[in-house]
Parts: sequence; C-alpha cells; structure tokens
Amino acid sequence: MSVGANELKRFITCVQKNSTYNFSEYSENSLIRRIEKILIDNTCTFDILLERIRNDSDYLHSIVKQITVNTTELFRDPKFWQDFRHDIIPELQKKESITIWHAGCSTGQEVYSMLILLHELKLLERATVFASDINEDVIEIAQKGEYPYRFYDDYKEAFKQVIKFNPYGKPFKHTPFEKYFEVNAKKSILQTASFLKNKVQFFTHDLIALSPFTDQKFDIIFCRNVLIYFKADYQKKIYECFYHSLNPESYLVLGMQESMGWFMNSLFQKKNSVYCKWEI
Amino acid sequence: MDIKKSQYKLIVIGGSAGSFSVVTALLKQIPKKFEIPIIICMHRLKHVRSGFEETLSLISKNMVTEPFHNDVLEKGKIYIAPANYHLIVEPEMTISLSTEELVNYTRPSIDVLFSSAAHSLKSSVIGIILSGANKDGARGLAQIHEMGGCTIVQDPTEAQVSTMPLTAIEQCKPTFVFKQNQIIDFIIDVSKTRR
Repeated sequence: MSVGANELKRFITCVQKNSTYNFSEYSENSLIRRIEKILIDNTCTFDILLERIRNDSDYLHSIVKQITVNTTELFRDPKFWQDFRHDIIPELQKKESITIWHAGCSTGQEVYSMLILLHELKLLERATVFASDINEDVIEIAQKGEYPYRFYDDYKEAFKQVIKFNPYGKPFKHTPFEKYFEVNAKKSILQTASFLKNKVQFFTHDLIALSPFTDQKFDIIFCRNVLIYFKADYQKKIYECFYHSLNPESYLVLGMQESMGWFMNSLFQKKNSVYCKWEI
Repeated sequence: MDIKKSQYKLIVIGGSAGSFSVVTALLKQIPKKFEIPIIICMHRLKHVRSGFEETLSLISKNMVTEPFHNDVLEKGKIYIAPANYHLIVEPEMTISLSTEELVNYTRPSIDVLFSSAAHSLKSSVIGIILSGANKDGARGLAQIHEMGGCTIVQDPTEAQVSTMPLTAIEQCKPTFVFKQNQIIDFIIDVSKTRR
C-alpha cells in the first residue's frame, strides 16, 4: 500500500504522542519510503501499524529502530580517506589533543576506520573519541565491533587502498588487515581489536535535540550520509549546532555527495568533503 | 506503436556488464542543449570513484555530472548515479541520494532509480534497460510501464550480455525492443519534439 502526506502526518503525530521521538523534521519522501518498506517487511496495513504503535511501546521502539537504521562501511569511499590523510592529518599532527565526535555512527565501521588511521600515524594516544546514534541497537553492534564475515573481501580491499596504498606519501605496505580485525571463521565474524574498541565512548543521542550530549568541544565531527534524511531547513540548524560544538581550527566531515549549500559559507570553508570552521 | 513524444520530462537508463560501449555511443551522439535530463545508473566498482564522470564528460557535448543530494534535475544535463549511493527521483524534479541497504546486491540499484522516477513523475518517464548480467531494473521498468511511461529494452540478440534485457522483457512487456542505434535515434527524436 502507498503512504501519502496524510498518513505520514498521522504516523508522525502518533509516534510523537507515544514516545520521545520526533520525525517531523525528517525528509518527507525518504520517511514515506521507509514506512512503506516497514509495511511490506511486517506484512501489515497502515492502520494496523498505527494501532499497534499506539498500544505497544516495545513495538513502537522496534519500528523506530527500523526507520533509523543506516548503513556504514569500513573506509567507505577510499578516495575520501586518501584525501583526508593528505589534507587534514598534517593539521591534526600539530595538535596536542584531538577530540572526535562521530554523529550518527550507526554500526561503528567509520569510527574504527578513523581509529586505524590514527593508530598507523601514531596519533591514537592523543585522541578522545565519542560516537553517537539515535538507535540503541546499532550502538550495541558498534560497541561489540563484530561484523559479518561476508564483508571481509570488501573491507580488506578498502583497507588496502587507504592504509597499504597511499598516492600522496608513505604507504604502510606491510600492515596486515588482521592487526585490527580477527577473522573468526567459526563464528563467521570479523572481530574488531579490543584496543580500538576500548578507545571509544558510545552514547545514544538524537540530533533533533540540537544540543550535543557533552560540553566538550571537538576538533573533528564526522556526520557522513546522515543529514540527507533530514529536511533542508533542519539540516541548516544541525550545521549551526555543529559549528558551536567545534574548537577553533577544526573540521566537519560530510558524505562524498553531500553539500552544505551556499548559506553555510560564512561558517565553513569547503575542501574536498571536509568543511573547515571559519573563525568569526 | 504510437506515442506522444512531448509528454516526457525525464529519461532514465540502466545498464551493467556490456553497457558501457552503448552509453558512450549514446553520449557521443546526443546533440548539444539536449532538452530532457538523462539519468544513467550503471553498476560499477564502488571503491573506484574517480575517472568515470571525467571519461564520460570528455565524450559528451552536454554536461555530465555525478549529482549531489538535493540537486535539481535540469535539461541539457546528464546525471550519473554516484558509486555506492542509491539515486532517487523526487516529485519536485530533484535528486535524493541514499545509503540504505543494497537492492539486488547493488548500490546504486536501477530498480530504486526507475521505481522512484515512476512514482514521482508518472507517465512522463522513459525507461531504458541495456546489456547486463543480472536482473536489476526489470521490476522498476515494469513500474514505469504501469504508470504509463515509455519502456525500451536493448535487443537481447545485440546486447553483449543478454540476462538483463531478457529479464526486463519477461517482466515488463516493454513498449519497444530496440537495437543500440534505434535507441539513440529515438532519444534524439524525443528531445526535438520539445523545442
């Protein structure tokens, strides 16, 4: 069945009334697509969905989790990480401490990508790392750092391109993938090394709140392919919120095909996929 | 079959193995200031980001771009679905990108592009399936057909790999089964009716 503007409104109101979640600032079209997918996956009609959300808070939470799940990968877009290594890492090397926030970290692969890079470049000791997501289930997976074995070839290839091969400088040809991930064929998983996992503090946090989960200021905020699911006006508010949570000489990282739009030019200066904070 | 060529606002093209040569031939021949936006979704290696847009830009007389999220679809431009994102057409003639799960083992998926175009623009869409080794695109093409759009499949006897055209023909009963040159002529002709 297809979900229209009217159903969407009823869904948002119903969730809002029965929980602390607010989807009114999510991009309407993508939210409609996700609700339609839920109706198919759960083989139910829209009215039955609403009814169950109203009466069963566990069910409501499971639906919210299905809506807010997002995909992430180890070293997604190797080109980005190569550029990041060339453009941004030298700036980080000048800092005594590096505080990082992964906003909307999903299952955590990007958090570990950054940690691996920092470790190879001997910056891990200086780093304080926070990661947050609205969805408790993905946070739990991120904390465990266990990923399906079927990603092995894919992750290893991306790892090779970013760590072993470096178009701009010294490569780490002899760094094995297994230094960071134990391949457990028996359980059919890739297990992230404990020294990486122990480095991260995870939080459940909703970006809709427009306030960070800590008073800490950050040197880098990663928020890749998250805000594409929000309305344009609200994206702007979140960018402003990020701006105020950033230290001087700091960076906001978005997805490869995400653009902040001209109205943010007074706050950030763009270099590849990285936005550098302007000092006003 | 008689169709009203002026009704179309968007052309979507999907291809996989064996489709690159068709796409390059198409981009070479499409005249400058083409009147309808074209979106091309090709399966590609996700870790290889650079080179694709550049190569196709050199061939085409029109602007070839890998769009950003929220870009507006404009005539005279050719959009290539960026690696590792689904490309979705919105009713307002804008583009959304998504990192949601793979569909048919692929992202970008032709089904996602075609089905969003069908739902957003109804009968104003021309969908074209080219050579390929899997079944992506057949379902989306059928949806374009159901919404009253025009559907074209590359002749399986000509396609380098026939699985994708054959599946599309089976699931959709397309408006036309065309050889490469007929597809190109048709597209150029459709654009002319809008001058």
